[in-house]
Amino acid sequence: MKLSTGARWDLIDRISKETVTFGAYQHTLKDAIGELTVKPMTGIPVAIAVMYGFWSVFGSFAGFFTDGFFVRLFDVYWLPWLQEVFPGQGGWLYAIMVDAGGIESGEFVLSSNCLESFGVLTSGLFVAIGVVLPAIIIFYLMLALLEDIGYMPRLAVLLDTVLHRVGLHGYAIVPTILSLGCNVPGVTATRILETKKQRFIMMTLLAIFIPCGAQIGIMQDVVPGLMGWILLYLIIGYFIFGYILNKIVPGKAPEFLIDVPPYRRPLLGNIGKKVGGRVKGFFVVAIPFVLLGCAIVGVLYQLGVIQFLGDALAPVFVGWFGVPKETAGPLIAAFLRKDLAVAQLSAITMTPYQMITAVVLVSIYFPCVATFAMMLKEGWKELLGALAVLTVVVFTYGGLIHLIGKLLGVA
Amino acid sequence: MAEQSSGGAIYFAVLGIVTTAFGLADLLVTASGSELAYGGILEIPGDLFRGGWGGIIVLFAGLFYLSGIRNFDDIHQFAKVAMGSILIWVVAGCDIFAMISESIPSWEEETGPWFNTLPDFIAAYAPPYAPAVLLLPFSLVVLYYISKRASGETRGGNSS
Repeated sequence: MKLSTGARWDLIDRISKETVTFGAYQHTLKDAIGELTVKPMTGIPVAIAVMYGFWSVFGSFAGFFTDGFFVRLFDVYWLPWLQEVFPGQGGWLYAIMVDAGGIESGEFVLSSNCLESFGVLTSGLFVAIGVVLPAIIIFYLMLALLEDIGYMPRLAVLLDTVLHRVGLHGYAIVPTILSLGCNVPGVTATRILETKKQRFIMMTLLAIFIPCGAQIGIMQDVVPGLMGWILLYLIIGYFIFGYILNKIVPGKAPEFLIDVPPYRRPLLGNIGKKVGGRVKGFFVVAIPFVLLGCAIVGVLYQLGVIQFLGDALAPVFVGWFGVPKETAGPLIAAFLRKDLAVAQLSAITMTPYQMITAVVLVSIYFPCVATFAMMLKEGWKELLGALAVLTVVVFTYGGLIHLIGKLLGVA
Repeated sequence: MAEQSSGGAIYFAVLGIVTTAFGLADLLVTASGSELAYGGILEIPGDLFRGGWGGIIVLFAGLFYLSGIRNFDDIHQFAKVAMGSILIWVVAGCDIFAMISESIPSWEEETGPWFNTLPDFIAAYAPPYAPAVLLLPFSLVVLYYISKRASGETRGGNSS
């Protein structure tokens, strides 16, 4: 049966009269609070409070498990036990699996904690389970809460204007925040952006300026007092280089339309499913890379490759970036595991500003292997482009941070 | 009703002034780089995170209260007052969560008990408290006005 246009409108009228209730809508308190969180004047203070709550709970929860229990479990019980029972102390397999140790007065000396031992079964397991796991669980729990309450779309609207300056739009906050957990789902989430230009900018910025949960967890553990400055440098870099990329990368950055839902009470079942799925995904994708990365770093150290590259590149690190020569090794190893590289940096004596520079360099340095593989999946041209940008960014931004330190007299 | 509303407006005006003052004190103490303790009950943290970032939020909470007291009955104005309380709940909730997570482990470096002793556990909740924690009970008054408004809406009256 074919209806004429007029008949269709009549049918629509009849259906709507029977199904839709018309009347003056009365604002509820929930509506009014919802509006407050979208308007910039009132929404920005709320966003600042939400981010504060997010990081405060993150720090307390991760600190509770890592510093309260896991550090002791691994350093006091696990490490000494493994050091004793694993055969071949001082050999290459022992160094890779348990403890690379150190040489003092010509004698092999065992490490006193899991952050310095660099073995797969010690540092690898401690980082994966003792540091990263609590950080990842609380991160995804908080993220799921914000999503299910209905705050994320409001944050997207709030940040839309700012993100347009870097060629993105409000939705870009989703891959950005996801990347703070793990860069791999973050890179996948760039598909929600419409144009190639947006996806390229987003992927590049994620790979360079967004530290993953593993790295944040270890930073929180080993350099808690410098976290604010490190994150500040990364946020500033995100916007400076995003702005430049927006100017030089051809293509369009369209507006976006978003349906802002009302605030809702989160359902425990939904939260559980989301957190469970994401943590499981993290286990499958990232944990093997933590352990494998730890093993490869150990092998490269044993073969002297990292020492050789570190010595060769030392003039660049010391002269251009202003960090001690000893940081060259960890910075090269950062390609495999950024979290382990931060742990290695914490064992080197340097000034607070040098530590900030070195950790920022680890962050903006090459993406970790898992992210690298995911970016390759999105297209090799995009990957090559992102790597070219990354190289330029590492040298210019690393040099700029050194210059700022020199001007302030702290470098 | 109007009398009760004006009572609410006065209450939140006073709370707004106190909250704003606490927020400013938080920021000033953080800027000075030291901690401030007063009367054994109040302690303003001097670190950049709790004192600085947290202080900004307490200051915003105070400003929300003060901007919401005019025409208190209007739903949009009242929402600002409610938001002021929510901001205090965020900061105070985080402070309390930090207290809880610090009170349970023993923090022993070497072998020894894994969990805190009961006296130390209880001592972790003793004063002094951060400004947001002290403001928390006073901010809860907003729940009375929310429930009053909700019951009014259920009866069909909406003051917007």
